[in-house]
Amino acid sequence: MNVKDMSAPDDQSDGQEAEAVLARLSVTLDVAIERLERARPFAKGRYQGPVLDVVGRIIAQPGGLGVVRQRATRVDAAGLFSGSDWDRPEALLPQLVGGTLTSEDPAFRALEVCSLARFLAVADGDARHDNLHQDGARHFLTQVLALNLKDLFGVPDEAARALGARYDLKKRVLNHIADHVGLDDVLSVLVSEIWRLLEQRSVQVGMVKDMIAQIAIALNEKGTAPGSTRLGAERLVSALFGPTTASRDDPGLDIYLERLAVADESGLSREAMGFARAMHDTGLVSDYHAAFLTWALDYADRPLIPEALGLGGTGLDCWRHYRGLIEKLVRNAVTPATPQAAYGLAMLLDRGVLHHAPMVPALERQISLRIGGAARDRIALGFGEAVPPETHLLAGVLRVLGQPLGVGQGANPTCQSARAIALWALNDPDYLLHLITQVAEFDTLQMQFEGAPINSADLPVGLAGAGPIDADPVSVLLVVHLDRIYAEMGRLCAGRPGDPHTWINPQFHGWWVSRDCAVAVDVATGKLSSYDDFLRRFFAAYHPAYNGGRPLGHPQPAGIAVTDAHENFIGWHAIAILRVAEDQSGRMRVYFYNPNNDSGQDWGNGVIVSTSGHGERYGEGSLEFEAFLSRVYLFHDEPLRNPPGDEIPDNAIRQVSDQALSSWAATRQPEG
Amino acid sequence: MTDKNPDKGFVALLGWSLNAIDAVDRFDRRYVVVAPPWAEDYCKQNDIPFVPWDFDRLNERSHELAHQLDDMGVDVAIPIFEETVEWAGAVNAVLLKNPRLLGQAMLFRDKSLMKRRAQLGGIRVGVFEEAHDRGDVIRFLKRVNQTLLKLDGDPNDPIHFKAFDKSGTAGHRVIRTPEDVDNIPDEEFPALLESHLDGWEFAVEAWIKNGKIEFLNISEYVTLGYSVFVPATPELEAHRERITEEIEKLIEVFDIEFGFIHPEYFLTSDNKLYFGEVAYRPPGFNALELIERAYGFNGYQGLVLAFDPKTTQEELDAFFPKEIEDAKGHAGCFGVYPRRRVVSRLEVPEQTANHPYFEFHELSDPREQKVAKRSAFGTHWGLAYFFGDNPHKLRDLLKEQEELDYYV
Repeated sequence: MNVKDMSAPDDQSDGQEAEAVLARLSVTLDVAIERLERARPFAKGRYQGPVLDVVGRIIAQPGGLGVVRQRATRVDAAGLFSGSDWDRPEALLPQLVGGTLTSEDPAFRALEVCSLARFLAVADGDARHDNLHQDGARHFLTQVLALNLKDLFGVPDEAARALGARYDLKKRVLNHIADHVGLDDVLSVLVSEIWRLLEQRSVQVGMVKDMIAQIAIALNEKGTAPGSTRLGAERLVSALFGPTTASRDDPGLDIYLERLAVADESGLSREAMGFARAMHDTGLVSDYHAAFLTWALDYADRPLIPEALGLGGTGLDCWRHYRGLIEKLVRNAVTPATPQAAYGLAMLLDRGVLHHAPMVPALERQISLRIGGAARDRIALGFGEAVPPETHLLAGVLRVLGQPLGVGQGANPTCQSARAIALWALNDPDYLLHLITQVAEFDTLQMQFEGAPINSADLPVGLAGAGPIDADPVSVLLVVHLDRIYAEMGRLCAGRPGDPHTWINPQFHGWWVSRDCAVAVDVATGKLSSYDDFLRRFFAAYHPAYNGGRPLGHPQPAGIAVTDAHENFIGWHAIAILRVAEDQSGRMRVYFYNPNNDSGQDWGNGVIVSTSGHGERYGEGSLEFEAFLSRVYLFHDEPLRNPPGDEIPDNAIRQVSDQALSSWAATRQPEG
Repeated sequence: MTDKNPDKGFVALLGWSLNAIDAVDRFDRRYVVVAPPWAEDYCKQNDIPFVPWDFDRLNERSHELAHQLDDMGVDVAIPIFEETVEWAGAVNAVLLKNPRLLGQAMLFRDKSLMKRRAQLGGIRVGVFEEAHDRGDVIRFLKRVNQTLLKLDGDPNDPIHFKAFDKSGTAGHRVIRTPEDVDNIPDEEFPALLESHLDGWEFAVEAWIKNGKIEFLNISEYVTLGYSVFVPATPELEAHRERITEEIEKLIEVFDIEFGFIHPEYFLTSDNKLYFGEVAYRPPGFNALELIERAYGFNGYQGLVLAFDPKTTQEELDAFFPKEIEDAKGHAGCFGVYPRRRVVSRLEVPEQTANHPYFEFHELSDPREQKVAKRSAFGTHWGLAYFFGDNPHKLRDLLKEQEELDYYV
């Protein structure tokens, strides 16, 4: 008999007794795991609850986390996560972990602990997981720590105290992870991670701002060794919480405005330039900066806005032409709830977008636009009600138009819609505003497919369901409609031979998408088809050395086969080719836009997407031409083009083809 | 799917039970699940062999099902629920070319017929009667209490009311007053009325092959409808020999060649054994799971062995352990009902959570804030499982649970 007869421990239980309790619970856990292991996949559900129940009691014991960690791989293999989101660790979001660890439901807390234990086992090299490699696991855990630094170091606040034992559990779990992953890593990884993300200039910066806030607390609580990490960290913290002389001590908005009231001319100039410098350095806008801009609108002596936005030549020229409109934009879009609008506006002005004739009336219309119906509710749901939905939308418009390549799809399967919004913002900004007006006022979107009208309000919901709310305001407004239209166009292509994107992409995006389309795989069989010709054609269409030196005019949608760091095929993904050019070292590179939220990805075998340091502009990802081509499976091309000549060297084609065949195309070689 | 042995039988499970399917899928016999059509998609997705069937009242279509299964090569049907017992009887009558099996199944399905048959066979039963309406119930309540020489105003001894064709505690009511009688819904008639027996109530699970008991478990009830554990205390196990004889009587009286029975008995204070009722299907309350925890064999797989005509004696000997001797401990479970009128969350009582015998629970979160008033025995909100080596301690622990709040 393996159950020890033992009375329940009291509060003063000594270490020995606690150990005995842990040993006993470990045996019980093994019983529960064995039952789960035995069950067929369809019957796992019933045996998951008991495992989580025991785990929940074990992790409340000292040393309990270690017990769970030892069994993490076994529990995973037994099927604890089957049927839940946790079954795909590669898709889990580190920003959700903190919330689940303090969930009201003990089963969720236990599940999250088991999931983290699995990451730990993989990160330590004790276990392997099909969809999770060691670096990925370590990176995930580092992000979890980074996002929860406050609870690792900080003194519990009111909210934490209210959580009681749940907060203690979270803190112990974080410490347990830190013991394994190491904390020295965290701050430096976090800082370089933030800089890497910032260099892509995403429209959505909420998570980055959260991480910086955590760093501020960590620096304050613990301090760290001096060095480059600390320098980078402080640069981030000051950009957000005290970028100028008068705000350095983070005095609060009221005191700051009092200081402005008594500042002299040179002091105000210094403030304006300080804000501009910090903003362009990081892409982040401090709350003080937003307050300064609003204050400056009513400062009669001289205009401080151009200085505070740090405008360049083109931007200043726009300011001179359209000062009235710009002041209206600042007044209506830059608020304490929407400070980032200032950065969007600055970038928009420097892009010279206002010189495009329809844009000035279109923005005037946007300022006076009232949002109705479901669209209004959706924006309020996504962004809160601190300011009206119109303010959120206008701020979103400025950010999207100022940082077109910063548009991201959030955690939604809507890369096509996100890509379309980005490309319109880049290419066709007044058309984008036209679409926004339709949806805001009538909650529908009208497009045409080869002459047939499509009205999104009449269509069933698409991939995005009721639409994302974790994206930027423009996406929140439009994606639910774009997604339906995209799906409808797909339906209208049903039965046509070949890949439907051939027809959808030009109809969906605009005339500037080339009308011909090359696809690497046969749609019916999924096998490669005339792959060498496909590659040759891409060279002839996009490589300046073989296309007569013609630069790419408009961005072109393209499809890539995404692979993971081990070259395993993950899925088809929509991106856009922006330009093809040599980098500083003379290597030909393809610069492209990826609507996922972070372009920097490792696709295996040295194909690592770079986001800075190789001539990328904000928001661009880049790869060397051949490496990029090895992942392309669909691209657009002009129907009128001379056939590719023989000048494209065979070994270049061979090199690309080999790289594709060792990864996503490995199982797609045609037979015979 | 485990590799199936083509030389062994092909069984049909009548009724939908994921636990049973899971166990049989892991076993070496070919099987098919016969269940209502709503299960079809699920079975397709999970590669579970499936025949859709509506088990409404038994009707002439039973022949159709029998032939469909016969054509598939099925050797025998195993009832999983009370409602499928007569279907299994009808199907097996065809598959095994033994018309008597249908009649036998009808006996198991009618509590009154069952009791009379037992009585005719010389098995001791309590006082019982059939009730077709509330008047019958009142009359029985009065007569039983008159017999007990109760005076007007004395509290009545209770009687038990059991709907004819319901299983376990569903439709089982304890009646003390005429008001209790008014609360019986029309659809629970006709029903069986029984006098109350003060005593020790327990159940038996017996796997039978060739008219012989292959394994006999005694499940000791701590409180009917709340808690049970296996193996029983030594005090109850002391009666094992007599109990075995009683089961052998049942086998003879009901002419049981093979399968599985689950009878209930009372051991009264004057040391007499009274037969309560018997079911020809797995027990509720996850008793098979408790047996698996204690003895290590899967009860559903045991069912397959007991039903399959191609099972050999060697297989049976290898499969079933030795009663009591081979038990690794005592396993019990407690059915949790919310005790408060309004509950908001599930919280295992601290003294339970910290008890070394407590293993885990399968309790659901409160689905509704308002607790329905319990009529009959109702349905519990889930089970809490316990395991330990001291049966008395386990029994007392299970009893204690009745006074604790799992839902607050």
